[in-house]
Amino acid sequence: MTDARFDELIHPPTRLAIVSLLAASQWADFKFIRDSIGLSDSALSKQLTTLEQAEYVEIHKGFVGKRPRTSARLTPAGRTAFEQHVAALQDMVARSGMRIAPQ
Amino acid sequence: MDEETRTSDAAWALGEVRARQQQVIDQATIPAWYWWAVGVLMVVLAVGVDIRTSAAIGTAVPVFVVGLLAATGAAVRGQFRQARLRNGLLDGRGVAAILGFVALIVGGTLGIAFALRAGGVHYPATLACAAGGIVMGLGGPVLMRTLRRIMLGNRAGSPR
Repeated sequence: MTDARFDELIHPPTRLAIVSLLAASQWADFKFIRDSIGLSDSALSKQLTTLEQAEYVEIHKGFVGKRPRTSARLTPAGRTAFEQHVAALQDMVARSGMRIAPQ
Repeated sequence: MDEETRTSDAAWALGEVRARQQQVIDQATIPAWYWWAVGVLMVVLAVGVDIRTSAAIGTAVPVFVVGLLAATGAAVRGQFRQARLRNGLLDGRGVAAILGFVALIVGGTLGIAFALRAGGVHYPATLACAAGGIVMGLGGPVLMRTLRRIMLGNRAGSPR
């Protein structure tokens, strides 16, 4: 069972959205993350850099044919931090007796 | 931040976690048209098998191969360009559902074809593949819905 640990770095809405997308992926393309969340290139780069500095995310820059492509993925440490953060959120909600409606 | 606000914030965050993971899962769903396309291609191949002339086989096989590659490429292109699903989302139930679907299509189609052939019916492979193609077209989206439900249940933040 995952230990619950609230993570202040992950919790802000934009970073939470990015990490949640990456949590369901082996990797995700920069444009897919940008368009899914509705961020500008620079705003997403800034958030990814913050997550990369915390060693939660790895950024890969490569080429597909002649086109540059940037993708990101969660590191094992990032995945653990995310799972612990989600467990902490679930504990907070469970303690209140609130239920999250299934989507 | 008081307790009530913290709880509301946590509930919102959990909803966000689930919704964002659902975005990744939904972009990887194989579209309904793909299953009908594969069903039609099966029939094309079977027509070639039933007619048995060089021209028929020489036409049906390339149409089947090129069509299948093109349809598959178009259907999964999003995954390769956007995001690749994490393996852990699909557990043993998902694998069983996929294998069961394949077994149903292959077993059903072959069974019908052999039965029709034994009964002396003309074009047994074509008729059997038509039946298999209809099952494919109708069942593919059902399989996708089943896999989606399994993956949504396995995403982080799902009810414990």
